[in-house]
Formats: sequence, C-alpha cells, structure tokens
Amino acid sequence: MAVAVEIPKLGNTVEECLISRWLKEEGQTVAAGEPVVEIETDKTSFEVEAPIDGTLLARFFNKGELVPVFTKLFVIGNPGESVEEFRPQAEGAHAGSEAARPEEPSAQDKHPEPVGRAGANASATSSSAAWSPRARRFAEEHNFNPQAVAGTGPCGRVLENDMRALYHSSARVSDAAGQGVRNGAFAPREGSGIGGMVLAADLAAPESRISGVREKIARRLRESLAGTAQYTLNTSADARGLLLLRARIKASSSAPEININDLMTFCTVQALLEAPHLNVLFVDGTIRQGRGVHIGFACDTPRGLLVPVVHDAQALSAAALAARIKELSAKAVEGTIPADDLSGGTFTISNLGGLGIESFTPVLNPPQVAILGVNAIQLKAVRKSGMVEFIDSIGLSLTLDHQVIDGAPGARFLKVLREKIESVEQICTI
Amino acid sequence: MYDLIVIGGGPGGYEAAIHAGKMGKKVALVEKQWIGGTCLNVGCIPAKTFLRSSRLFRECGEAAAYGVRVGTPVFDMPAVVERKNHIVATLTKGVQGLLKRAGVEVIIGHARLVARNTVEVGDVRYEAANLLLATGSRPAVPPIPGIQSEFTLDSNSVFELQQVPKSIAIVGGGYIGLEFACFFQEIGASVQVFEMLPDIAAGADGEISARMLRILTKKGIEFHLSAKVLRIEGHTLHFAAQDGAQGSIEAEYILNSTGRRANVEDLGLEKVGIDFSPKGIKTSEQGKTNVPGIWACGDVTGRRMLAHAATREGIVAVNNMFGVKDAVRYNALPAVVYTHPEMAMVGRTEEELKAAGTKYKKSLVPMAVAGRYLVEHEDGTGVVKVLCGAEFGEILGVHAIGDASSEFIIAAAMMVETEMSAPHASQLVFPHPTVSEALREAIAAIN
Repeated sequence: MAVAVEIPKLGNTVEECLISRWLKEEGQTVAAGEPVVEIETDKTSFEVEAPIDGTLLARFFNKGELVPVFTKLFVIGNPGESVEEFRPQAEGAHAGSEAARPEEPSAQDKHPEPVGRAGANASATSSSAAWSPRARRFAEEHNFNPQAVAGTGPCGRVLENDMRALYHSSARVSDAAGQGVRNGAFAPREGSGIGGMVLAADLAAPESRISGVREKIARRLRESLAGTAQYTLNTSADARGLLLLRARIKASSSAPEININDLMTFCTVQALLEAPHLNVLFVDGTIRQGRGVHIGFACDTPRGLLVPVVHDAQALSAAALAARIKELSAKAVEGTIPADDLSGGTFTISNLGGLGIESFTPVLNPPQVAILGVNAIQLKAVRKSGMVEFIDSIGLSLTLDHQVIDGAPGARFLKVLREKIESVEQICTI
Repeated sequence: MYDLIVIGGGPGGYEAAIHAGKMGKKVALVEKQWIGGTCLNVGCIPAKTFLRSSRLFRECGEAAAYGVRVGTPVFDMPAVVERKNHIVATLTKGVQGLLKRAGVEVIIGHARLVARNTVEVGDVRYEAANLLLATGSRPAVPPIPGIQSEFTLDSNSVFELQQVPKSIAIVGGGYIGLEFACFFQEIGASVQVFEMLPDIAAGADGEISARMLRILTKKGIEFHLSAKVLRIEGHTLHFAAQDGAQGSIEAEYILNSTGRRANVEDLGLEKVGIDFSPKGIKTSEQGKTNVPGIWACGDVTGRRMLAHAATREGIVAVNNMFGVKDAVRYNALPAVVYTHPEMAMVGRTEEELKAAGTKYKKSLVPMAVAGRYLVEHEDGTGVVKVLCGAEFGEILGVHAIGDASSEFIIAAAMMVETEMSAPHASQLVFPHPTVSEALREAIAAIN
C-alpha cells in the first residue's frame, strides 16, 4: 500500500517550503526513517523522512520549487503501484503558493525591485519573487534589499548563501539610509561612512515621475522633431501702432479688455486669411486646407504646457477673440478645459514676449505646418530720410515645416503679418 | 628625500608619523619643544592627573557618607605636580619608543617651510614628497590690560603651582576653564569664573550646559556670565557684569583660559602660498591644504581643538596622501570635559538640529536610573540626553553629564557614526551594573 508524504506544518507562520535537495532518486529503495528530501523554510531547513520501508515511487516537485505546507511531496510504496491518486492538483489549485516555478523566466521579470542597495550590481538579476524563503528572511533581518543577486539555485533562484555572500561583500547601509531607501530614495554602491557604509546623506532623492500631461508633451515634442523638417524665420514688425492701440484701450473705460497678445493673435488670423497656405495640416503626405482658422495658443499652466484652441477665430472680432482666449486660458490653468478645446488647431501662437524673450525656435505642433513665436517689444534703430530713428518693434519667430512650406512662402506670410501688425489700428475696430 | 615630514609632535603629528612609518614610509618628525605636544605636556594628561588628585581629596572629605572614616586630608601640591611630571615623563618616553619602533626619524628644532616640499630646521634643509603641518595651538592672550601680570596664570604655567591658592579667578568658562574651576574648588580654593557668553561650555548642548551650570554652582563655584573682564591689576580683576554694572574682585591668582590660538606664525606658510588665517590653516575633510602635497591636522587647522580630533585628522591625511581613501566625519566626533561630574557628548546638539531645521525626537533621563551610578555617587546628579531624527529614527546626538560618561560615549559615537536607529540600538546589551545603562534607558525612552 503506497503512502504519500506531505510537508508538515513547521510553524504558525510557515506557509510554504522550498525543496532544497532530493536525497533519493525515483525508483530507489528507502528504509523507514531515512531522509528523502531536504526542505527549507525562511527559518530553518530539515529533512523529511520516509515513514515506511519501500521504493520511492514518485517525486512531485523539483529542486527549487516552493510548495505549500500539507502538500504531498512524494510517494513510497511497492514498485508498480499507482501514485496518481496522490499527485497534487495542477498549479492553479495551489492557493497561497507564490507560483514561483523556477522554470518560468517571467518570475525574474515581474516585480522589479525599485530600490537599489549598495552592492546591488551583480551579474545576474533577480527579483525578490525568485528568492528562497530563507534568502528573503536573511534580507529582512539584515535590512538588506539588493536590486539584483546572482542566484546559484536552480534556474537562478537566490538561496540564503547567495544573499549572505552578497551582504558580506557589499558596503553596509545605515539604519537611517535603509529607512530612506524604503521610502524610495536611491543608494549609491559605496557611501561616505565607515568602510563605505551608505549614510542618509549619500542617498539620492527618489525619482519623481513626470505627470501624465508632461509625458504627453514630451512625446508630442519628440514626435514633432522626429517627423518634420523644422526651420525658423526671424523678423520684426513696427509695434508703435500696437502700443498706441493698447494705450487707447487701456485709457478708455468703455473699451473691452484686449491686450497685446490678443491683438497679435487677431493680426495673425487676418494674415492667415490672406495667406492661407500656412493654415493647413500635413497628414500622411497630403495637405489639407482648413475651412476655418483654428488658432491654438501656448498656455503655461501648473501642469505644464497646454495649447487651447480658438475654433473659427476668423469669425470673431478682436474683443470676442480676446474674451475667448481669456476664458480658455482660465480653464486651462484651472484644469477644467474640455478635451475638444485642446484639439483641432490649424496654426499655433506661442508668446514669450512677456518674459523678455527676443527670439526663439518654437517647435511645431504637427500636423500643423507653422507656429508663430511672438517676442518682446524692443527699440530698433531705423534709417529714415538720412536720420536714425528708434521705433518700438516686436520680434516674430516663425517655425515652418520645410516638407511643405519653403522659405519664400514662409517669408511672404511674415510680410503679410507685418503689414497687419503695422496697420492694426485700421483693421481692428474697437 | 622623505615620503613625509611631520611638523609638530603632538597627538596629531606623532600619531600620523607612526601611522605612516607603519605603512613603510620614510618619515621624519620635527618637534621644537615637547614630544607629545600640548596634550601630553601641558594639556589633557597633566589636567587629568591634577583632577584625579582633587577628586580623591574631595572624596576623602565625603568618605563618611560611604561609611568610611578618614582623618583630615591634606592636599600636597608639590607631590601632585611631581606625580604629574612622572606620568608625563612616562608617557613621553612611551611616545618616543613608538616613534622609534615605527622607524620615524625625530628632528628637534623649529621647522620652517622654504618651498612646497622643503623644510628648514636650523641650517639643514630636508625634502619630502608630503608635509603634514601639526603645529598645534597655544593659550590665547585676550586684549585685557594686565592679563600678563605676575599673578596671572595660563594653562601652561598653572601646572607649576607649588601651593594651593586661597582664591582664583578664572577668565573663560569653556572646557579648560571649567576643568580648572572644578580642580581648584575641590582642593579648597574659592573659585569665580568669568564668561563673556551667556552660557558655560560653549558648543555643548544648551540643556546640558544649563544643567552643568546648576551643578557647578551648587558645588560652590561662582559664575559671572555675559561678563566682560575689563582689566587686571595685581590681584584685582575689574569686570563689567551682564547689566553693565562694573565691579571688581580680589583673587590670589587669575587663570586665563580664554581659548587657544592656532600656531600659524613663523612657519613660512606665506612663502608657499598656504591659505590660512589667524584662526587656522584651511583644510578639506581629507586634511588637504590648498597647496598640493601639504597637509594639516589638529589645532593648527582651527577645526576642532581636541587631541583625538587631531589624531584622527592626522591619520586621515596620511591615508589620503598614500592612496587610502579616508575622511574625517566631524558629526561623529565625541568630546569629553573632565569636570566633576564629567560631561561627554557626540553628534548634534538640540540647537544645531533646530538651526538646521531637522525634525527630531529627544529623551532625557537621569543618570540615577543606572543603579551603578547611585552606588558610585552618593549625591549623584547627572543626565543622559538622546536626540534622534524624526524621519529615520537614527541617533543624531548623545549628551551626558555624569562620571564614567567619558568611557561609554564611544558607544554613542558608534551609533551616531553608523546612523543606528534607536530601536536597533535598543537591541544592544548593556552590561549590568554599569553607568552605561543610563544610555540604554535614554535610547529606550525615545521609542
């Protein structure tokens, strides 16, 4: 009569054991009391003995596997007896087991430990999931949590000895630094304490994850630079009209709130209506002429750069445009702007003039083919009837996609825009 | 051509020379006066010898409380000086033996730098790949009229006193002043201490300093804090008290213990372009000066004027000059004041933590929680204070008042040095019955 032997419960907290070594082969005869297999827990290791004389008929687990307590380990009986009734159920039934079967390489890829302790750069990598219970216990007791340990167990499983060897060859981490590491800080390989002990002062701040918005910005800008042929044209326009108009608006109590940026946006819309070759999208090798002028404007928000879009800006008066820009900006800053108002632009304006920028390279917002950078207003010397006159002048930096827009058409647009700016008092009726 | 020439034979210089000698380097040590330096000859060791005698003398007076009757004790000052001289001679000889065994060549004379790698002693020039400046310090002479009068002692001449003075006025309530205050008070002199600052033992934790003030006042030492000594005329010391009121006192002797000044003069430092000020030679935590190949350690750097700091700095400098990475971690440097009772401290003070904006937890327990302390001290007053970081729980500072604290402060230094957390430190076994158990209690009180 065959007898199955299961893992005894070795303590209140022990839920699983590691098969560290088989001492008998299948088919070998064993005497009662002879050790058959060596298992280890996080606290101890011991041998499971054969309860009766007989032949080792089956071994249900391989060396290195984690087995829940009370699971049948092996069967002893007479040759030819069936062992199937004893065979533990399939993997899925191992409730509570960590399912860390060593032959599954995924165990090493899962749960990468985020903490880097000193001495963590071993040649092989492992996650704590591939540590034996005793190795894990050692790590816990010694406040040691290496990123990678070269395991010498089956399939690279990290055994206690591996952990011990790494621990004793690594610089120590002080209690304080250890606490910091658990809080997410990064430890260097060697610190400034005794014998290279890593102290709290040696820790690097935890890496801060960029926000979702920033991630999106980063990806879009990378794609923009990778997928287009950007170049920038710089020029300037006489801004005296702009300043006069702005002064008039400010002085008037009845005039709507319109600032220089609003006026520049208004002039740009007018210029795009006259030079619509820039108000296009370049998608999959085709140029799509927009029906309206949908102006995006770069908006600095606490969450990063957002580009709200004023749809059909050509239909708006300067005052209505200004009001819409103000409304969208407020929503963008608050974080309440609807997604629809952040898409569908055909042209973008980025105004850094208020921050004193004199010239810059705006980055395209594909599939748009142009973006206008508005710079600070500066004094510029101009020759006029043999005299030198200083005039207020606003800088313009236009980035274009050379795939679609060549230099001359780009320059022609800027010429139109300059004319609009210089005649702003005429085209913009308040 | 030497691998290293050390200038100065104090605890900074001689330990560094021996260390380099043991590394197999060709080393010379130049000393102009005393092998062993201030520490051995006119500092730590003589002071502790005096204090041992004064303690015994006091204890004879207190013996009845311990159930021991003795006759009237007599303090034999010449015998105390003689004992001190004997101990100093023994230790100096010991240092000379150590230097010899380490193969260090000792040159007696005054060394001056003449070039980056050249030292002149008398008419002889010596060349070395590395120079270690360990010239130490001397008692500061503050600009007080009459401070150099015939009844004024400094921390050198005080060791030659041949009789017990009736009264002594001590100018300076720092570590040195306090130790002498205890000594003279215990041997029966009336002692007054004048300190410019509002606290005694400048640099010590505020709470500890305040407690120490109470303890010493209770012993019978009179303190004048925030007081300015205006002038000294013979036996008369004129001072302005905290409130500005002027007064004067009479004392048989006046002891100047206003601090120490780095010995930076007459060394040729300017000649080789070393960055220094009257406060000391500037050094890195590896002991480097701004001039490659020239190193400095100890009091002459003005960093921490403690013998064991000098020793550590010297060894660190030698290690670095010969390719062994090392650095002084000043945050874990213990300090001990041999007042009665002793003070011992390591790490940050509460004031430093506040100034740095570090969040901390603290505990303060009386020394008397340790049975041994009560056994040893009939009227035992003393405390242990522990400061821990609030975020990580690491022990940042330990400050103690009480005899024997000087002997167990090294355990606290290890905790500070290794950033041990209070819960882990609580797992250490403190032997019973020892005074160190007070430290255990203070650590446990943090948790």
